[in-house]
Amino acid sequence: MKHKIERYAPPGINIHLEIRYYFTGLLCAFLYSMLFLIRYSNSLSKLYGWVGNKRVILPDAVMDDFYLILDSCLLGFVIIAVAVLFLIVYHYMYHYQGSKSIYLMKRLPNSRELHFRCITLPLTGAVISMLLAVILLFAYYGIYIACTPKECLTPGQWQKLWSVLL
Amino acid sequence: MIEIKNLSKSYLGKRALENVDLRLPRGEIVGLFGENGAGKTTLMKCILGLLPFDGEILLDGSPVSRRNIASLSFATSEHSFFPNLTPLAHKEFCKEHFPKFSEKRFKGLMDFFELPLKKPLRSFSTGQKNQFEVIMALCQGADYILMDEPFAGNDLFNREDFYKVLLGILEPNETVLLSTHLIEEVSGFIGRAVLIRKGKIIGDVSMMDLEESGRDLVGYIKETYHYRADRVSRALNELTDTEE
Repeated sequence: MKHKIERYAPPGINIHLEIRYYFTGLLCAFLYSMLFLIRYSNSLSKLYGWVGNKRVILPDAVMDDFYLILDSCLLGFVIIAVAVLFLIVYHYMYHYQGSKSIYLMKRLPNSRELHFRCITLPLTGAVISMLLAVILLFAYYGIYIACTPKECLTPGQWQKLWSVLL
Repeated sequence: MIEIKNLSKSYLGKRALENVDLRLPRGEIVGLFGENGAGKTTLMKCILGLLPFDGEILLDGSPVSRRNIASLSFATSEHSFFPNLTPLAHKEFCKEHFPKFSEKRFKGLMDFFELPLKKPLRSFSTGQKNQFEVIMALCQGADYILMDEPFAGNDLFNREDFYKVLLGILEPNETVLLSTHLIEEVSGFIGRAVLIRKGKIIGDVSMMDLEESGRDLVGYIKETYHYRADRVSRALNELTDTEE
């Protein structure tokens, strides 16, 4: 009982269904984020031209800025993070559905049990989602820097990204 | 002992309880009577710490807190169990949180009422839900058991069985505060009656004193409430009075 996932959710709630929806959402967000790779490869191919049979970098070719290619590719993870935070409200409201189990939860000697069961999993879900977004941000940035010809890169890509984000 | 001193409670400026003073010693079965909206449920919720209030409530000399809250249990007609859990899962949950939980009493009462152990509580009938609610309150290992209309929806036979079982299983130090409208039914089962009206305690009498004075509980309540016996006949007369 102690290590089961149910231990971290309101008693009787269909937590497995919530988790299934969450991971489906994460998968969708990940697939949507891969749009970056398509957009990046399009921008990359614009840097090249053909001289006979040889593919060469066009003179004065400049790669699109990272933030422009990234655009909203990671937005799915943010939406999921916000959506799972709404689950906290649902978890509290659950204690008023079909009965007033909130009375029992409020009478427990452990005052943190109610909040622990309502908050833990949604908060963990939100953190995981944002963490994945950050990991993918670094990964895509790494791809952008590593795969773009040096002469086509404009400096200050990271700063530009943050100035747009903030 | 539960000591309630000068307890007042308002809802949006409307007084629900006003300067309530009450003592509930260990080992008593106390009936709490009053019309709908008199303040019975509010009083219980204040004792349980479910509502903020003015005044003081002491549980064995200390304010009700997480340290001593396990000494109080609550059975309500609103039900406080988790409808999606089975009785077995519910028992496990309560055992985990209430160290004095009585597994023996749980098994005995579940067997007595022939309640299924592995069906979700949401699939139970209203009567069965009430029975389970009371079972959980009795098994928690609490010294003070608060029951708010616990038998609403149960048939007469069911209720009578319950009174008998309750009297049979209660330990001498267990206290029951029972709010109900079933005055006649519980009159042989309670040891004391407390009357509440418009948020004020207007009567507090032991059943022994009532017996000695030759009155019954219904009579005492009607008398204390200033019940006008002729109000029904007067109303009917007015309603059936034909215009000439």
